[in-house]
Amino acid sequence: MNWLELIADPTFQTVLLGTTSIGFVSGALGCFAYLRRQSLVGDVIAHSSLFGVMLFFLISYLLTGQGSKSLFVLVPGAAVSGFLSLWICQWLVRNRTVREDSGLGVMLAIFFGTGILLLRCVQRSEPPIPGHRGLEGYIFGMAASMTRSDLIMIAILGAASIIAILVFWKELKAYTFDAMFSHGLGIRHQVMDALLIALLVTGIVIGVQCIGVVLMIAMLVIPAAAARQWTRSLGRMVMLAAVIGAACGVTGSVVSASVDNMPTGPVMVLAGVIIFLISILFAPGRGVLVRRSGLRSGRQSLQEMIP
Amino acid sequence: MTPLIFWTFAIAVVTALACGLCGVMLVVKREAFVAEGLSHAVLPGIIFAYLLIPDRSSPWLVIAAGLSGLLMVWLVQAITSTRLVDRDAALGIVFSGLFSIGIIASNLKLKNIHFHAHCIIDGNLSLAVLKPFHLGELYVGPRAFVTMALLLLVLVLFIFIFFKELKLMAFDETTARSFGFRPGWMHSVWLALVSMTAVAAFETAGTVLVVALMITPAATVSLLTKKLSAMFWLAGFLSAASAVLGVMLALALDISAAGPISSVAGFIFLGLALAVGKR
Repeated sequence: MNWLELIADPTFQTVLLGTTSIGFVSGALGCFAYLRRQSLVGDVIAHSSLFGVMLFFLISYLLTGQGSKSLFVLVPGAAVSGFLSLWICQWLVRNRTVREDSGLGVMLAIFFGTGILLLRCVQRSEPPIPGHRGLEGYIFGMAASMTRSDLIMIAILGAASIIAILVFWKELKAYTFDAMFSHGLGIRHQVMDALLIALLVTGIVIGVQCIGVVLMIAMLVIPAAAARQWTRSLGRMVMLAAVIGAACGVTGSVVSASVDNMPTGPVMVLAGVIIFLISILFAPGRGVLVRRSGLRSGRQSLQEMIP
Repeated sequence: MTPLIFWTFAIAVVTALACGLCGVMLVVKREAFVAEGLSHAVLPGIIFAYLLIPDRSSPWLVIAAGLSGLLMVWLVQAITSTRLVDRDAALGIVFSGLFSIGIIASNLKLKNIHFHAHCIIDGNLSLAVLKPFHLGELYVGPRAFVTMALLLLVLVLFIFIFFKELKLMAFDETTARSFGFRPGWMHSVWLALVSMTAVAAFETAGTVLVVALMITPAATVSLLTKKLSAMFWLAGFLSAASAVLGVMLALALDISAAGPISSVAGFIFLGLALAVGKR
């Protein structure tokens, strides 16, 4: 297929728009989780969302006799179970002798494990549940089966979360860097926590269908970690991470459309990994190789000074 | 009980025991997510070894997978030591990157061979039961059982012999160093054992169950006691119990055992957490 044919293909257009906007939104939202050192929280939300997806699929089947795979049904499910897993984990960390990392790990195991249990039951059920084919795609992502209505859902939620970032920019910035200072300004911690988690959950649930619950963490962490190397300003970091995420989305959809059997999500992740490696090696002032050559020239000039 | 069902239980129990024991040190050292990372990072090793030597029972698969697990640990260490990225983020980047390489390689080269998503996530306990291991003429048991049982033996011996070192490593590395131990070296050996367990369990248990069995029983036990020896015993008991109950549930529902075992272990944790371990 040549380039012109590819760009004119409506299926490809949908996938391209979808992956690009998912990359853009998750790149921007990932920055806050990254700076607050909560990268792995994203992994837990993503894995946990499988349980909600399966539950809401089953509920839609019981109500209508047809399992729905529309994002309008499954995204709320994913959000509910993502929230629930974090809420239980926070309760355990506060009230029981459970440490955060093992609490999060257990929540991942319970929600993802039970999600897999439901998925296998649905796939095994006799008579077969209408519409169950393709649910497996939630695990590793199924960008190719994205529909126009999925795209609308992604656009609405993505735009809403970007607008929320812009509206609450000052508060988010203060809270991310200095929670005590923001408290002094009269910003309530619980409200900010809830807002940040809501943003993170939104960013994840619109992406899991396309990238898969297993690899979703990469689209949150990698653009943020790469962008952080190039700048010290939060504004520039968020913009750069969004652009990197979008670039990963474009790469993923183009490469998977041009090579047979090439999965979209993993290609997006690898494109991100390459950008990340370039960033930690060459970013001005911080990059490993840049620092090393700086050390070398410093040593040289020091030796020249000594007679 | 037919022999097939007996061996299904037996494989699940040895796998659960080995993973459960590994998990104790991970939970104590606040490294629970190393289990999540390892269970994904072994995939490219398995796929590439299979592409070179297309034999699913070749020991090279296990060795290559172990190497890619160690590669993950080393990469995370290398990235963290630049101080440009914190450890959690480095872990997330490295394991998702390695896992992506594995998925792409299997999609391009192994389409419709046994490495589809179902096997990666759930493992394949029902297939593992069917592959026999013979010692001369004698049928010992399924190959997966023999592998896991040997590994379990190594783990148990290691824990018994180096218990003092593990304890020092877990609770106070500075004291350990002043006694002349080398906690860093011990830690690497332990992670190599964990990585071998993740690999060996991967075939029968898949990624879900490796994570669930490593973290959940150990986290449950940490609600009950702070004594390391008691943690090992109880974690072993709990993981074996979850495996037995999980396989019973799986047989009743006629689905793969990974999901049910993780849920059972998880609900035991939740139940106990409601009852005990108040701050």
